[in-house]
Amino acid sequence: MLEVRGLSKAYGPRQALDAVDLEVAEGEITALLGRNGAGKTTLVSIVAGLRSADSGRVVIGGIDAFAEPRRARARLGLAPQDTGVYPTLSCRDNLRLFMGMAGLGRRQARGAIDELADTLGLGELLDRRAKELSGGERRRLHTAIALVGRPALVLLDEPTVGADVQTRARLLRVVRNLAHDGAAVVYSTHYFPEVVELDASVAILEHGRLLARGSITEVIAEHSVGAVDLVFEGPAPDLARLAPTGTVTTSGSRVRIDTNDPSAVTASILAGLDSHAANLRGLTVSQPSLETAFLQLTQDLTETRIEEQINVA
Amino acid sequence: MSPRRTSAIVAHELRLLTRDPLPIMILVVFPLILMGFLKPMVALALAAHGHAGANGAEQVVPGEAVANGFYIVGMTSFAFFSEYGWNTWDRLRASQATSAEIMTGKALPFLAVSATQFLVIFAIGVPLFHLRSRGPLTTLVPLVAAFATCLVLLGVMITALSHTIQQASALAFGGLVLFGALGGALVPLEVLPRWARAIAPATPTYWVMRGFRSVILDGHSYPAIVLPCCVLVAMSLIFAAVSLTRFRFTDTKVTF
Repeated sequence: MLEVRGLSKAYGPRQALDAVDLEVAEGEITALLGRNGAGKTTLVSIVAGLRSADSGRVVIGGIDAFAEPRRARARLGLAPQDTGVYPTLSCRDNLRLFMGMAGLGRRQARGAIDELADTLGLGELLDRRAKELSGGERRRLHTAIALVGRPALVLLDEPTVGADVQTRARLLRVVRNLAHDGAAVVYSTHYFPEVVELDASVAILEHGRLLARGSITEVIAEHSVGAVDLVFEGPAPDLARLAPTGTVTTSGSRVRIDTNDPSAVTASILAGLDSHAANLRGLTVSQPSLETAFLQLTQDLTETRIEEQINVA
Repeated sequence: MSPRRTSAIVAHELRLLTRDPLPIMILVVFPLILMGFLKPMVALALAAHGHAGANGAEQVVPGEAVANGFYIVGMTSFAFFSEYGWNTWDRLRASQATSAEIMTGKALPFLAVSATQFLVIFAIGVPLFHLRSRGPLTTLVPLVAAFATCLVLLGVMITALSHTIQQASALAFGGLVLFGALGGALVPLEVLPRWARAIAPATPTYWVMRGFRSVILDGHSYPAIVLPCCVLVAMSLIFAAVSLTRFRFTDTKVTF
């Protein structure tokens, strides 16, 4: 449904996107992960036709979005990062505008508004002005606008920012249902548990570059290493023989073992500590996770960039 | 352009206007108050300049409608800036609507409001201020339409040229005072200093007031409003051209 090829965009000297390739299939939720300024919003904005690209290509449902922007926009729904609703108008009137823009007649719009309101729990709020809504309710209205006209591609830029637990749960349910009904969803977020909950595929951006792409399992397997950290009273013993599958780093009273299977290494170490067990003061087991994969990837790149800058200097 | 999408934006803009009706009320209430104050003084000024039978309404009714009609410039501009302030501008742009549909849909309601303002003020001006026109008032319809178009496009141009709502506000307010005073809307042109009379034709106010006076005071008909209408249309085209070349849909504008 969405095909992005070699997309690049610079703001002055800053490269916001650097030859990004991304594909999102029908029924797929792709979580766009990255730090602030990594390029997520720029990518979403270019796909939505709000910004121009320096180079590259965006195809939405087989339509070249740069050559036929209006036809491409007819297939997408966008919920930008900042909540965008008309505060002096009712929820119904907010939705009515975008129903009209999507080409729905008055009668069709009425039915579609009720359906959307039901989906997002706005039924009883339809005749209330947007400025009278709570933050979470306004966020739901904001998301509902993106879903007007049942778009085949839905772009949600940090949709749960500032949302309460109930709103977040409802939004995640809506996103899952969208994908279940065949929509392709691009879901930009900073919240890793949401990505896991959505069982989304992952695209990690850093400094405008796409660093990783795949399912959660693939990204973790490829980019995340678990760790076992031990703290002893006095100098740490030599634990290399107890963790043959890991990399052991000893520093004073501390030992860190980087491994893909921290549970097995922990069991092996605890069983083999013998007399050193009495001196053990702390033990932390870090399982490989999306978060560690993300940190590993983004930290590596940042360190590389710093080294590059030092070399250039 | 899709009529359905354009009319959806027009209807939406009208809903926004009716949810906050105070600015529209001001368009009518302010001129009516000022007419009451200024009518006796203007009657004297008109009499001193050869219009012995005039009661002052011939100048104050159209003059105050024109001067206060400039609020439409600010209202049009604010309608665009509000979209930026509410973060809805990008939503409009990401919709299926084209740039032309968005601009037309947002501007058309203000054209209607401006024309309605004249209609209401003249409708009240006849019984309340004893406005008597020597020429047929229906002659003024094309003149009002041309002036309203000019005001709305001036508002769009100010939006295009302004980066902040403060800039737009200053330009709109400046236009209201400057054009209102210079063009002979606040007071008859004859009482203005010579230098002001010399530059008055550069303002749309001068031309619309010239048309009004030629019909209302002098009793002329359609031929007398052809030139004012043409000049107003020409000014509108200039405002439209500047708007088209300077309005960047991708620009970010700063609101409150």
